Amino acid sequence: MTPLSYHVQEYVLLAALLFSIGGLGFLIRRNVLIQLMCVEIMLNATNLLLVAFNRLYPSSMTGQVFAFFVIAVAAAEAAVGLAIILGFYRLRNSVHSDDADILRH
Amino acid sequence: MTITIEDLRVLTLPLELSALLFLVLIADIATSSVRGKTFTGWLTFWGLCVVFGLTFVSPVAGEAFGGRFRADTWTLFMTRWFIVAGAVVTLGGIDRIRRMASRRQGEYNLLLLFSLLGMVLLIGALDLILLLLCFELSSIPLFVMAAIEKRKGQEFKLMLTAEGAIKFFLVGVVSTPIALLGLALIMGMVGDSSIAALDGATTSPLLKVGLLLLLSGMGFKLGVVPFHMWVPDTYQSAPAPFVAFLSTAPKVTALVALARILVSGLQNRSELWTPAVTTLCVGTLVMGNFWALGQRSTKRLLAYSGIGHIGYFMMALLVGDNTGMAMFLFYVVAYLLTNIGTFLVVEAVCGRSEDESIDVFAGLSRRSPWLAMSMLLFLLSLAGIPFVVGFWAKLYVFIAAWRAGYSWLVVTGALLAIVALYYYLQIARVMYMNEPKVKDPIAVKPSLAAGVLICLLGIVGYGAYPRPLLESARAAADAFMQTRSATVSVSLR
Repeated sequence: MTPLSYHVQEYVLLAALLFSIGGLGFLIRRNVLIQLMCVEIMLNATNLLLVAFNRLYPSSMTGQVFAFFVIAVAAAEAAVGLAIILGFYRLRNSVHSDDADILRH
Repeated sequence: MTITIEDLRVLTLPLELSALLFLVLIADIATSSVRGKTFTGWLTFWGLCVVFGLTFVSPVAGEAFGGRFRADTWTLFMTRWFIVAGAVVTLGGIDRIRRMASRRQGEYNLLLLFSLLGMVLLIGALDLILLLLCFELSSIPLFVMAAIEKRKGQEFKLMLTAEGAIKFFLVGVVSTPIALLGLALIMGMVGDSSIAALDGATTSPLLKVGLLLLLSGMGFKLGVVPFHMWVPDTYQSAPAPFVAFLSTAPKVTALVALARILVSGLQNRSELWTPAVTTLCVGTLVMGNFWALGQRSTKRLLAYSGIGHIGYFMMALLVGDNTGMAMFLFYVVAYLLTNIGTFLVVEAVCGRSEDESIDVFAGLSRRSPWLAMSMLLFLLSLAGIPFVVGFWAKLYVFIAAWRAGYSWLVVTGALLAIVALYYYLQIARVMYMNEPKVKDPIAVKPSLAAGVLICLLGIVGYGAYPRPLLESARAAADAFMQTRSATVSVSLR
């Protein structure tokens, strides 16, 4: 079996596209909440990849199972992150990462 | 695959830690006064001591969940040292945590235990999914712990803490999908999530991209040089006892996760990962040590020095065989004891005044000679001067790397150790040569002094007599390098 048969290639490309959109968004946008959303897009891209790769190995369910765990991890990170962002907002009245600029050499 | 009682027996140590976690949770719920909340700190410390004692009573060996989790000499060794790190950090930080998070102390201790549980599970994991989940369990609580400081009337300090926490969180959270994408590509090329299957991976560009992504994702968590931006900011803004934990155990955890995949999983395919790891190693050694030179803040200086140390860790990983892993483990223990001790002394000296510039150390030898003496020994151990444990750690890593053919890397590392000696001795010079601004001795709480003392005894004791530690590190490394199911045995040492 050649790697990337079963039309997995298209899914890999889609996942790469989604991941890049998320990554670029994370770098370009300065609103921490939107940056958090971009991270979620990146995680979804990896989930898509995990599930797509699983088609190469029809007897195994590893990719699908991993995708569920990734969803749980993403939820935990978002819960913690929103609390930290809220704490930052209360002090600085802003959710822009450019405002986090006090700590320097 | 069915889960049996036998599987749970293999998980004895993590289960003991979980039991302690629930005890602390109940204690946190049951108490409401600040004093009661401080009790959760003591419960955490003594509980960890009991769990540490239990590792000598009932060492279990075996495999669980179809070979996806294994308990052996290696897990026993690492579990003990993680528990020691957790216990010393709890003991040393009890007073500071009471002052900075009066009613939230219970939460802080709980989060510390959750993080420890993730680490203890990770060292036994032989499966990529389990590895990632344990890693997240060990790192997500740290984001909260970095942000937990809440004191009225210190708005500027709070802003710093919030900023350090948000930087730490953003970097930590964006590194997860990067590492995960790498894992997904590796799993796609291997077809299975077990470590033992990694050997049979098809060599394709996607596999290499996957390994590179995994390395960069973990590089963020480790603070390896192109991905290190958050490290000094977070260390500077967070309370020192927390930094004592953050700068040691989680870094070791990330290195162990990398070692599990690269050194043990791909041990026969080292040409896949050595070029990338060598590049990161050299960059980290050079930049980490040179950036430390101009720092005026003690915590920032120690942050960059810690980045430099990650370079030495990676040098040990590059050796890639049993000896390399044994030297890696020796370095782990030396680094844990030394760095925790250093940050606890920083807490003793700078904790009250909230000012952590090097000038605060001026004349420390006349104010508190014992504190100055222990700081000097910790700095010598960080620098690798005979005869404290840091010297043996560096020496062993250099010998192993030299024998593996990395002579040029050893020369680079040794030259940078001299650069490091310069900035470590700058603190020592300020402590011993400069006139103190305030003459009165520093009041150190007994709990904090005990924490410093444990680390001090460790580095001096193992510095004078490193053989027992070296032997147990060798036994642990041999167990670590077995990926396929073998007769799992455990030696009591």
